[in-house]
Amino acid sequence: MPSILQALWVWVDVDVLEMMGKPKLGALRWLGFPETSACSHTPSILSHCERKRAVVPPETSWPLNTVQRAAFSISPSHSANPPKKTAKKTTQAKSSKTLRLPKNMRAQTARPPAPGERKAMRKKIVLSNANALEVPGLENLTTESVRDMDRLRELEGQVAGFDGDTVDALRALEAFKPGQGWGLFKRPAALVRRDLVHLGAAMQSARESKSISRGVFFGERGSGKSVLLLQGMATAYLQGFVVLHFPDARPITDAQTAYQPIQTPEGETIYTQPRYIAHVLGNIAAANRGLLDDLRLSKQHQLPIPLQSNISLARLLELGANDPQLAYPIWQAFLSEITAPSQPEKQGQRRPPIFVGMDGVDHIMRMSAYLDTESKSIHAHDLAIARDFLSLLSCKTHLPNGGVIMAATSTSTRPLVPTFDHFLARKHADTYAHKLTTIVDDLLHQAKPSESIRDIGLTDLEELPAASYPQPLAKQVQDLQYRVRCYQDQNASPSSLRKYLSSFTAKLPEWNPYDVKDERVAKVMESGMAVTKVEGLSKDEARSVMEYYARSGMMRGAVTEGLVSERWTLAGCGIVGELEKGLVRARF
Amino acid sequence: MPSAMNSIPIVRTLAFRPRPSSRFRHVTGVKRPAAGICRTFADKSTLPEAKEGVTGPNMEQAEHVSEEAAKVAKITGSEGPDIEGTGTPVQEILAGDAEAKEQAPQVMKDAISAGKGAQNAKPSTGRSFSTMARRRADMTPTMDDSAALPPSMFPTAEQRALYAQEQQPRAPQPVQEEKKGHKFPLPALPLPSNGNKDHRYDPVVEQVTNLMMLHGKKSVAQRNMAVILSTLRTAPPPTYSALRPLLPGAPPASHLPLHPVLYLTLAIDSLAPLLRIRSQRGAAGGGVALQIPVPLGLRQRRRTAFTWMLDAASKKKSRGSGNDQFALRVADEVIAVVEGRSGGWEKRAAVHRLGTTARINLKFGNRAGRR
Repeated sequence: MPSILQALWVWVDVDVLEMMGKPKLGALRWLGFPETSACSHTPSILSHCERKRAVVPPETSWPLNTVQRAAFSISPSHSANPPKKTAKKTTQAKSSKTLRLPKNMRAQTARPPAPGERKAMRKKIVLSNANALEVPGLENLTTESVRDMDRLRELEGQVAGFDGDTVDALRALEAFKPGQGWGLFKRPAALVRRDLVHLGAAMQSARESKSISRGVFFGERGSGKSVLLLQGMATAYLQGFVVLHFPDARPITDAQTAYQPIQTPEGETIYTQPRYIAHVLGNIAAANRGLLDDLRLSKQHQLPIPLQSNISLARLLELGANDPQLAYPIWQAFLSEITAPSQPEKQGQRRPPIFVGMDGVDHIMRMSAYLDTESKSIHAHDLAIARDFLSLLSCKTHLPNGGVIMAATSTSTRPLVPTFDHFLARKHADTYAHKLTTIVDDLLHQAKPSESIRDIGLTDLEELPAASYPQPLAKQVQDLQYRVRCYQDQNASPSSLRKYLSSFTAKLPEWNPYDVKDERVAKVMESGMAVTKVEGLSKDEARSVMEYYARSGMMRGAVTEGLVSERWTLAGCGIVGELEKGLVRARF
Repeated sequence: MPSAMNSIPIVRTLAFRPRPSSRFRHVTGVKRPAAGICRTFADKSTLPEAKEGVTGPNMEQAEHVSEEAAKVAKITGSEGPDIEGTGTPVQEILAGDAEAKEQAPQVMKDAISAGKGAQNAKPSTGRSFSTMARRRADMTPTMDDSAALPPSMFPTAEQRALYAQEQQPRAPQPVQEEKKGHKFPLPALPLPSNGNKDHRYDPVVEQVTNLMMLHGKKSVAQRNMAVILSTLRTAPPPTYSALRPLLPGAPPASHLPLHPVLYLTLAIDSLAPLLRIRSQRGAAGGGVALQIPVPLGLRQRRRTAFTWMLDAASKKKSRGSGNDQFALRVADEVIAVVEGRSGGWEKRAAVHRLGTTARINLKFGNRAGRR
């Protein structure tokens, strides 16, 4: 080994330097040695020295003008065996500061997970269990069954599967959620409920008469809102609609994705989320490829990039999906294209009805977690995606070709949204109040002074299941039933009954004036959308579901009336999620 | 919902009873719901309606003897019995009324004539013994006294027919009449083994859950159990190993994923050793411990087996990430046991070998000896 002094004189062969891809000039500088005046002469000397040199010990008496040739070089051995990169040692806790006990030593896994691997594992969707049995006679939701209302009504109360194309489209839209139990059965299937039949009817009328149907679905945790939304998407896909879906509204508002402000033509500042929109555009393109490949642009759009005039909508979406900066302008262009009037006679200008769904809509009915330039919270309605969806939901954006807009709330990740909750409760109570008011009007009509009070038919009123009504309507209905019956028993005059009935108004939940109402949310909710509560299953429906589980082999034992009753009760009067948890995912 | 604030400020609380609301005139037979609770039984439409002029039973009844006598005495001006105080003994009334005495039941006449005995014993205090309790049998009118009762008290044939329909179901027949050895219906045999609340769950699952529990966190252990069973359900069916035979009577491997509890039970019961080795200090001579095999019971066997499986699972490396990693490792270990890949099989073989060689150390006969 040469000494340190001798090492200063080591000359590396130029060929080796070339192999390493380093410049010839300034070789010593690259090696880390400062270039001295002596070294500045190295270029001429290096160009001269093509062959290897060895280090010469300074003790030898060489003439002063002789070039120092190195007597030893490591270059031949290096060129013969190029140094291999050794693997870096995994870093352990500094032993000097931690006591080495078994409990302090963390178990080393085989390899640390790659970036994004943990998230992928968490969000993994498994739709099939090879061990589950094939259920004989499991009908699918097909185009025929969905377009024929009689057949859909026949399917009500039965479990229906989805065919391969539909499953692919739903998977592309991220309709399946990781916490749901799809991975325990042979193939995805879900119960056809009355709410789905109503949705199917709405879609049929949208297709035939270009009507628009807007609804918000709420209910208890596990009551089946997301699965109903999924079934709605499947039905819309089979009907030939363009299906748009925002899988989860929480990432829009929890400040986990990038955002940027833009100015609208009206002078407002709204905030776009380029990556989120790009992701959604990719999903829509993948799910609706068959439909969108045939549709072409009908308008001129001002986009940052030039577009071909005959570009297909699928290609347009792909452009948006690949570049987040283009995502929002392309989203706006796409929205204006699919909400343009249909021109079937022109090639590529047919516009089918659309289905837009959003899961977790309660997250966008409040302030978001983002801050503006003045460090003030941004309202979720100022976020571009939420704004566009809500303009569809509140009918500000007109759909000339018809469509269905469906929003589902999320009860397991519920934020504080008092205004939204109030409107949900009020609209839900209103559906019952409407029925009640019809009955009261009918009674008023019957209670004429000329007729006897005992001739008034009270069966409609008596048959109202007051206990299942929302409060404070339930108590009011019970009171009304009792009092009208009293009037009849006492043989009171019809005019006094009329006086009582005419003063009757259905009591709906009232807003507490001392609470701060979110006016923007109130404005959206007052635009006239339907509000539906997703209730528990009936015992017959629970029985169908249990039979499906048993036939799949996931539930052992016979399905008897007693078991159905017991499980229905334990599931909080038929909540589907609890039923599944108790039967299929049990710990015993 | 809180109502709006009053515009008139309340200066002082006034005590007053509000007039009862007179919105409803009292209607016989119709009950008001109390505080919004509506009772749905005894609706007016289900009650029978009486015809006009018909008096039902228990209407227009004669008053009590003492009260009638007091009224009569008041009208006639004589001194009647004391109503406010104690009830008048019947003897006193009969003593004053000769006609009633003649028509009194024979038993009463005998009692009066006898004058002695417990029935006629007078209490030391002023209050007499209760007539009704003592004389119930005497007071019950016999068939002969039917003429004395007012005719309105008797139900008419129509009323009898009406009320017969609404009579309560017959009381259970006395045992002697039916000639059965039991009064209540017999249970359906055989009784279910999980009928007792302490034994309602599968024993293996319960024991395994408790073994996985740490720091008393049963719910965490139950959650892990659910993940294990789900994993066994969705994992590919195992392949049995010829070198590691499982419990006799094991089903075909393809049956196991659909019956995850059986899968788990099979793994544990197959791996379970039949004995443990007890070391007796110094008994072998020269300070060496003597190895003595001891048989294990069912729960002990299962516990040993699952403890080996838990040890192996905790030393394994996780293949992914998330909350369920421990449960997934345990499930992998269960599959490894059934497929014969587990290290527990070696442990089991070692214990059995040692037990076989140490069986010579077993001494029978010293029942009172040290364990």
